[in-house]
Amino acid sequence: MFELRSWQARLGFGCLLLLIAFFLFFPVYWALISAFKGNSELYQLNPTLFPGEIHFGHFITALTEGNLLLQLKNSLLTSTSSALLNAALASLAGYSFAKFEYPGKKSLMLLILSAQMFPFGVLLISIYPMLQTADLLDTKLGLTISYIVFALPVSTYMMYSYFKQLPNELIEAAKVDGASNFRIFYRIVLPISFPAFITVTLYAFMWSWNDLLYSMTLITSETNRTVGPGLLLQYINENNADWGGAMAASFIAASPVILVFALLQKQFIGGVTSGAVK
Amino acid sequence: MVSTQNTDKHTTGRRRSLKAGDRRFALMILIPAMTAFLIMVFYPFMDAMSMAFYQFTIYDLEPIFIGFSNFQSILTNPYVLESWVTTAIFVVGTTALTMCVGLAWALLMYQNFFGRSVFRTLTLLPWILPSTVSAFIWAWMLNGKYGIVNALLLGSGVVDENIQFLSDDLGAMMAIILTRTWISIPLFMSFFLAGLQGLDFQQIEAARLDGASNWVVVRRIILPHLRPVFLVTAALGMIGNLQQFDIIYALTGGGPIRSTTVLSIEVYTQAFQNWDLGMASAIGVLWVFTLMPLVVYYLRSLFKED
Repeated sequence: MFELRSWQARLGFGCLLLLIAFFLFFPVYWALISAFKGNSELYQLNPTLFPGEIHFGHFITALTEGNLLLQLKNSLLTSTSSALLNAALASLAGYSFAKFEYPGKKSLMLLILSAQMFPFGVLLISIYPMLQTADLLDTKLGLTISYIVFALPVSTYMMYSYFKQLPNELIEAAKVDGASNFRIFYRIVLPISFPAFITVTLYAFMWSWNDLLYSMTLITSETNRTVGPGLLLQYINENNADWGGAMAASFIAASPVILVFALLQKQFIGGVTSGAVK
Repeated sequence: MVSTQNTDKHTTGRRRSLKAGDRRFALMILIPAMTAFLIMVFYPFMDAMSMAFYQFTIYDLEPIFIGFSNFQSILTNPYVLESWVTTAIFVVGTTALTMCVGLAWALLMYQNFFGRSVFRTLTLLPWILPSTVSAFIWAWMLNGKYGIVNALLLGSGVVDENIQFLSDDLGAMMAIILTRTWISIPLFMSFFLAGLQGLDFQQIEAARLDGASNWVVVRRIILPHLRPVFLVTAALGMIGNLQQFDIIYALTGGGPIRSTTVLSIEVYTQAFQNWDLGMASAIGVLWVFTLMPLVVYYLRSLFKED
């Protein structure tokens, strides 16, 4: 797109690239090497850009002290089950909206989508006593169900717009062959929509995985605590700040998802944007 | 393709029953999502909205109807209006910065160059880190004593002494804007890259033949082409930033004093620290009305082509 024949153009392009790349990637590099620095090197007034001595102490402490692995397990469990539940609900509703005609359809869709103006913090005011009544406060199940709030509206729309562009002939032909609607959905529509299903699952997963507000409020016991509030409570608070430990624990906590995304990233960039912006 | 245009009586009857069956199926598969939506989203929303007209604190056993009193105290309470202004500063600052850097980065990532795919993949990184982790990373970068940002600013002579980012009003605001921008760039880049897909290359070629520079191509062809995407992305970005809680809570907790207490923090504090659910809901109403025009704009642009 850009012509970079002249050296001025190349220089401008390169400088802008380096500048933004520095902003985006340097923090991650800095956090990573900080995790490998010993405390004496970490807390010196002239920070070193590369650790003078590789030091695994923070990683060992992060794994042995506190409940990082339990919290990680809780986070992965609640986020994954909520994301799958969300994708299942969204696919069904999206298919209903995309391929069938019935009165009130458009209003129902608008109702679901208008949920974007319901602030999550406001919903929490009522979700909290609701879960309390249902005896689901401070349970992983309660948190999993509450996570639905984040992604269901947009996921439904994403599945809707994906199903919408599937050719009707595909469904008609199967119908002529005598297949039931249910059979058509799970034998034909769902298999070819697998990429969209994965995208929506990942989208919902990211919401719950990133969350602090709900997990902090709805979970109170150490056994059910997830990574976000867990890290905050353990490493950085008014009394102490263990930066090396915080960085090491952060990387341990982030690594499983980094791995998954490294494998699935192509799916993701395309999928999310096609749903949200036309 | 099998022809379905058959007009004999038997088939018409069958088709009618098929249609009723279709409708039944459509409603049946809608029920699970609709139920979840009504219980977890719609009911809590309506409930919180009505709670705004009640006094319901930890000292009240039952909510007491008090009409508009909560709203009256909001209007006379400088704190709430102050947090509305704080929210506006945060939202406008973050969205503007993210749009600029996100657009620039998308344009760079659209250009074919060696190593581009590595850059694109790495760009996702800030987004897939849990909020707490991102907050940790930036809190450490901006640390008032050992932070690398201060070391770089001091070393290059931009400042004479360390900036206490997180314990200074302006510094704390800068910190949350910077961190939130950092996290949002991956998504914004993706939006802009998607918008660039439909770019007309012949138009660019023609402009090139007329001797247009890179800058002219960006201004005359690329920016006008991105206008619709730009507006929707801005609306989406503002909706997201208006809702933002996690990063701000983890970085500053709304402080120092109240300098980064945005609406989300204010509602959380009222509801889950002061346990004043009526007041929290009333502030929530103010929050919803702030979000509403943006959501309406977004939904209209989404349904325009349907």
